[in-house]
Amino acid sequence: MAQFLEQLINGLVLGGIYALIAVGYTMVYGIIQLINFAHGEIFMFGAYFSFVLVAVLQVPFWVALPICMLLCAGMGVAMDIIAYRPLRKAPRLSALITAIGMSLALQNLARIIWGARQRTFPEESIPVIFLSENAIPLPGGADLPYRDLFIILFAAVLMILLNRLIYLTKIGKAMRACAQNPVAANLMGIQTNRVIAVAFAIGSALGAVAGVMVGLREVIEPTMGYYKGVAAFAAAVLGGIGNVTGAMIGGLLIGLAEVLGAGYISSGYRLAIAYIIMIAVILIRPSGLFGKTTGTRA
Amino acid sequence: MKKWFLVLLLMGLVLHLGGMLPSEAAKELKVAVAGPFTGSAAAFGEMIERGAKLKADEINAAGGIHGMTLTLVFEDDAGKDGEASLVAERIATNREILAVVGHFNSACSLAGKPIYKRAGIVELSPGSTNVNVCKGSDWTFRNLYRDDFQGQFIAKYIKNVLPELQNVAVFFDNDDYGRGLADAFTAEAKAVGLNLVASEAYDRDNTDFKAQLTSIKAKNPDGIFISGLYGQAALIAKQAREAGITARFFGADGVDSPDFLKIAGPAAEGTYLTTPFLFGLGNEEAQVVADNFEAAYGVAPDTWAALSYDAVGMIAAAIEATYSKKAALKQNRKAIRDYLASLDTQEEGYKGITGLTYFDKNGDTLNKPAYVKIVKDGEFTAAPQQLLNLDALE
Repeated sequence: MAQFLEQLINGLVLGGIYALIAVGYTMVYGIIQLINFAHGEIFMFGAYFSFVLVAVLQVPFWVALPICMLLCAGMGVAMDIIAYRPLRKAPRLSALITAIGMSLALQNLARIIWGARQRTFPEESIPVIFLSENAIPLPGGADLPYRDLFIILFAAVLMILLNRLIYLTKIGKAMRACAQNPVAANLMGIQTNRVIAVAFAIGSALGAVAGVMVGLREVIEPTMGYYKGVAAFAAAVLGGIGNVTGAMIGGLLIGLAEVLGAGYISSGYRLAIAYIIMIAVILIRPSGLFGKTTGTRA
Repeated sequence: MKKWFLVLLLMGLVLHLGGMLPSEAAKELKVAVAGPFTGSAAAFGEMIERGAKLKADEINAAGGIHGMTLTLVFEDDAGKDGEASLVAERIATNREILAVVGHFNSACSLAGKPIYKRAGIVELSPGSTNVNVCKGSDWTFRNLYRDDFQGQFIAKYIKNVLPELQNVAVFFDNDDYGRGLADAFTAEAKAVGLNLVASEAYDRDNTDFKAQLTSIKAKNPDGIFISGLYGQAALIAKQAREAGITARFFGADGVDSPDFLKIAGPAAEGTYLTTPFLFGLGNEEAQVVADNFEAAYGVAPDTWAALSYDAVGMIAAAIEATYSKKAALKQNRKAIRDYLASLDTQEEGYKGITGLTYFDKNGDTLNKPAYVKIVKDGEFTAAPQQLLNLDALE
């Protein structure tokens, strides 16, 4: 029982991280039908920014976190303006190839700046409550570290806020309008490019949060964006790409499937199990769990 | 505009053809060093590069080989087999390169093996320990022990030196190196009567091991053998301590890097490692090399620097003994192979800083012992008890 509880927590933490990243893929895809492969690299830069701020510049963690979000949001918007905006009217494949190029360029940029070696936060720079020994004992002998609890709750809060933003605010309405039909939205006076920039900014800021969390829990390296990015992308597809709620649920499902699959079926097929579930869902519902079944817009 | 382009093209062509003439190659002798200079094994790559370079610099300072400069060409395989195939292809088709020191990762050596064999060029690995690395090719050699020996050794060490550890678990990297080593350990652990309570795998790209560790924790092992590379091993050690696992950790040569200590921090404390060489227990010549290395790079050399140093030395000795300016590239490459293959007895063996190296008919080195290190106060130190004479045990 304790073991199952701990695995459940492991799965929820990983799922929360995937959900935070997956939202970035899905928001951008929802509006401009672009799979932004460089999103995983934004996540990686988020981790490095927090490392530089906290471990090198000695900025307190709670100040560093919003700064990282801002920096990554800026990076996401800059990426859109530099790489994707000039291609808005070009064939979709051009933008896709550009995204792959961006991903490689950013990964190698990180390698040039910070080197190929792995880095971890020095223990003294992490807030005391996040040290692993500070945990809530659960019935049955399992432990819930505050850090993991924070990741789960913080991810949940951000997701709810994002959901409210999309359905209750003006910019959210504009986003939904652009997702439905960008030309019509533009004709109604919505500045499409601004809406797209906001989507990049929000997605990147959430990716930054995920990056900081992974940096805290695991390790920071230039290739970290790839592995987590692919899994998060799978989560977005599972949930129905373009659908924000779907990305959240998809992230949680992939995270749980990965951990429980590794824990109870076979650890050698850890990600394979998660992907098999994804493929099975896609076979039955080609547009994903929450995707519209009316087929994609041309 | 077009005319200029044509002239440039022609000039380029002439220069390119010039580079292929044998007379051009006469001034330097090129040997490739292939290893993980980036990627998750980059800390190994750095040591390999420095160790190899130190030896080449010494040879050149002493007048080179037959008056020619020994030039090392570094090729990065990023520790990945796919990348290694490309690198091997590039090296094999480079008509100036006489031999290869590398690759480091077993999966990379295995990926390069058929390519080097087809091209007829020697691959001398200073780091690959997977059992199959040298099998099936006359062109593949290594100057360190194999995983079957290393895996068995760790199981024997636990049994004989640490009898309080009864229940052991294996957590292995799901690649050629990690699996081969884990299999050897598992078989021997069962043979000597240890209880193997858990066996879990992980993927090299992964950084979150909580799922597997929670499963291992439920089995309550006294010792965990982490069969993989330092980066993942360090994270596993760290995350295991976080998950409340108190078992002692064991690792093999893949964990033998200062970065293991850096990433794992206090979680590394008490970890036992096997390694093909320990400078602290090496001969006088090894101490001189260690001093030179530290003077040149500001850090102490590790096992991989030493083995790469020796590998370059062996290739240089082979070139010295066999190289002929008049011979075609193919013959020179073959002569290096034949020379290495002739080092098949204790008397013929190459005397390097890591001890005597001689090969069996596969190209494996079977005589070298395993040394044991332990992490104490955040540093690697020679374990108080070594088992250098295994045969005396049983």
